Amino acid sequence: MTEQNENQNEQIKSQEPRPKTDQAYKFLSDALRASFTLLKIIIVVLLALFLLSGLQTVGPYEKALVLTFGKISGEGEGRVLESGLRWVWPYPIQEIVRIPVEKKINLALDSMWYYERPEDRLPQGSKDRRNFGPTLNPLIDGYCLTRGERQDTGQEQSDYNIVHTKWQLTYQITDPESFFKNAYVDFADIEAGQNYADVIEDNITSMLQAMLADAVVSTLVNYTIDDVLFQQIGSITDHVKRSLQDKLNQIQSGITVVSIQLDNQAPPRQVADAFWASVQAANIKETTIKDAQSYYDKSLNEAGGPVAEELLAATEDKNTDPKHAEQLWPQLAGQAQDVIAKAEAYRTRVVENAKANADYFRSLLPEYRKSPRLVVQKIWQDTVQQVFDEADEKIIIQPTGNKNEVRILVSRDPAIKKQEDEQPQNK
Amino acid sequence: MKNIAVTILVIVIVGIGVLLAVCFQVRDTEAALVTRLGKPQRTITKAGLNVRWPAPIERVHKFDTRMRIYEAAIAETTTKGAIPIIMHTFVIWQVQEPLRFYNAVQTVDQAENKLYSLIQDTQNKVVGRHEFSEFVNSNPENIRFEQIEDEMLQELKAAASQNYGINIKAVGIKQLKVNEDTTRAVFDRMKAERNRKTEAILSEGNAMATAIKSDADTKKQKLLAAVEGRAKAIRGTGDAEAAKYYELLKEDPEFAMFLRETEAIKKALEKRATIVISADSEPFRLLKEMPELEPKK
Repeated sequence: MTEQNENQNEQIKSQEPRPKTDQAYKFLSDALRASFTLLKIIIVVLLALFLLSGLQTVGPYEKALVLTFGKISGEGEGRVLESGLRWVWPYPIQEIVRIPVEKKINLALDSMWYYERPEDRLPQGSKDRRNFGPTLNPLIDGYCLTRGERQDTGQEQSDYNIVHTKWQLTYQITDPESFFKNAYVDFADIEAGQNYADVIEDNITSMLQAMLADAVVSTLVNYTIDDVLFQQIGSITDHVKRSLQDKLNQIQSGITVVSIQLDNQAPPRQVADAFWASVQAANIKETTIKDAQSYYDKSLNEAGGPVAEELLAATEDKNTDPKHAEQLWPQLAGQAQDVIAKAEAYRTRVVENAKANADYFRSLLPEYRKSPRLVVQKIWQDTVQQVFDEADEKIIIQPTGNKNEVRILVSRDPAIKKQEDEQPQNK
Repeated sequence: MKNIAVTILVIVIVGIGVLLAVCFQVRDTEAALVTRLGKPQRTITKAGLNVRWPAPIERVHKFDTRMRIYEAAIAETTTKGAIPIIMHTFVIWQVQEPLRFYNAVQTVDQAENKLYSLIQDTQNKVVGRHEFSEFVNSNPENIRFEQIEDEMLQELKAAASQNYGINIKAVGIKQLKVNEDTTRAVFDRMKAERNRKTEAILSEGNAMATAIKSDADTKKQKLLAAVEGRAKAIRGTGDAEAAKYYELLKEDPEFAMFLRETEAIKKALEKRATIVISADSEPFRLLKEMPELEPKK
């Protein structure tokens, strides 16, 4: 009975309302459910964000490599991704490395130029301008050694000269995989406003400058200072470019030299005057030779015209076809043409005269044979008449043996007299 | 159901934690050394995912294996013939053997300290074996610049690899100079040489100009001589042709000569002539007296 009562009591107790405990339990239960739901949402969102973070853009001037657990993924050409939107598993599973391949980057090399402050570039005589000393300080002044002029003395010549140069390198990353594996780029160095391309540029600049300087130094020892300043600039830049590219290939840098430019070159300021005098001399030499050449052209042109030289060569060279020379003779001009023309005129005149004389002779000969005296007299008189007609002055004198001398002045031309009177005055 | 989800979540979180503790990546740009309780255990030079005992049992030391440049300080050294020369050398290096690198230097800064001494030492040795004329020479065939760089590379490569686990990929000479006093002497020589060259240029120019002018004169004379020869030949042909007509005069040479003389005298006295003639001459004789003419029977 007692047990029955106890059970009944418990049932009664349990059926009694427990307002405070139940409410708390319910709140807790609701809160847990809500938190759990929220947690699930957060997890889903985080998972979505995690997956979305794998969406990456490869820029138009870039190529990309995908690293899976640090190793470059893909085979063959598939190892390098072209530009576009890409999805990769987010870090740490995969990561994408973008390399700016299309960009052509310029790099200046001024370390081979003498040291000068901006004020030193002011015009001579300026207060702040500092004059250079008689020497070059190897710690601050940059320069290169060039070989001396070759002299065939048979002795070892280690003469050298000093030259200042400034260079410009344009390069491009053409093998992204080699570049990524070998070129040291610390992306932790990235600063505000910089992109990856800038960081890459910054990181490899010192290496490229050093390698370019090495290529320049090792190239210029093979050239003379005149080659560098005036004569072989194209060959030198090609040589430097080849040398630098070889060195870059040797270290598998993935970088291609687009161009090398010699921006500026100058002899040391300490010897500049002597150099410019030499340049001036070269100009004078050129002018002198040009003048001589003009004289040459003018002389031959005046003597024989444009074909003078060719004709002369043809006449001197026994192997030349005589027909060729004959074709050239009529093309002569100038003095030679004049001489030939006179000769031609002489020939014509002589022949025509001879012909005319012969014709005249033959026409008179029959009459002469008939009455020689009359014909001779007629011709003689005609001749005398013509001569006297054309003569300006005719003076007829009495032979000296005769006491009665007669002088007759016939048709004296007043103009001649006047002219003769004036001549002494002019003198 | 809820309990299962929580359990999975916990397992995932714990799993990730465990994976992070025991897995590590080695990139294509790295090499790694795994030490167990401080003792080097293994080196990893291939990129990928690797497993280790969690710290502090095993630790991973990673080394960047990409190329770095190190420029030694500009320094003066002497060539075989005791000629001082100033060089600024650089090397391009990379970590090659992580274990040796870890044991010998550990950090990049310490590696560069070691490289400094190594470069100076190698530079002095290699340059000391070569004459100055092998760096720069009037005869380019005697220049051994690249060979000298290569010798430095081989010696540095061997020493750096053996001692520090470093691979020297390239050696270069950024600057090759002479000391300050020497530049003064070089300038004096350059000036003298340039002045000599200036004189030579001017002399050469004058000589060339003279040669060109002489050549012009010679050619002109030769040409005119040739032209005169041809003119003579032309005149000769004229005379020869004219001679054919003279043959005709042989029928009566005296009469022909008379005609020729009359023509000649007409020609000679054609212009501006002054004639002085005796009053006894024909036809002026008429002025003195009337002729006595009788008809011929």
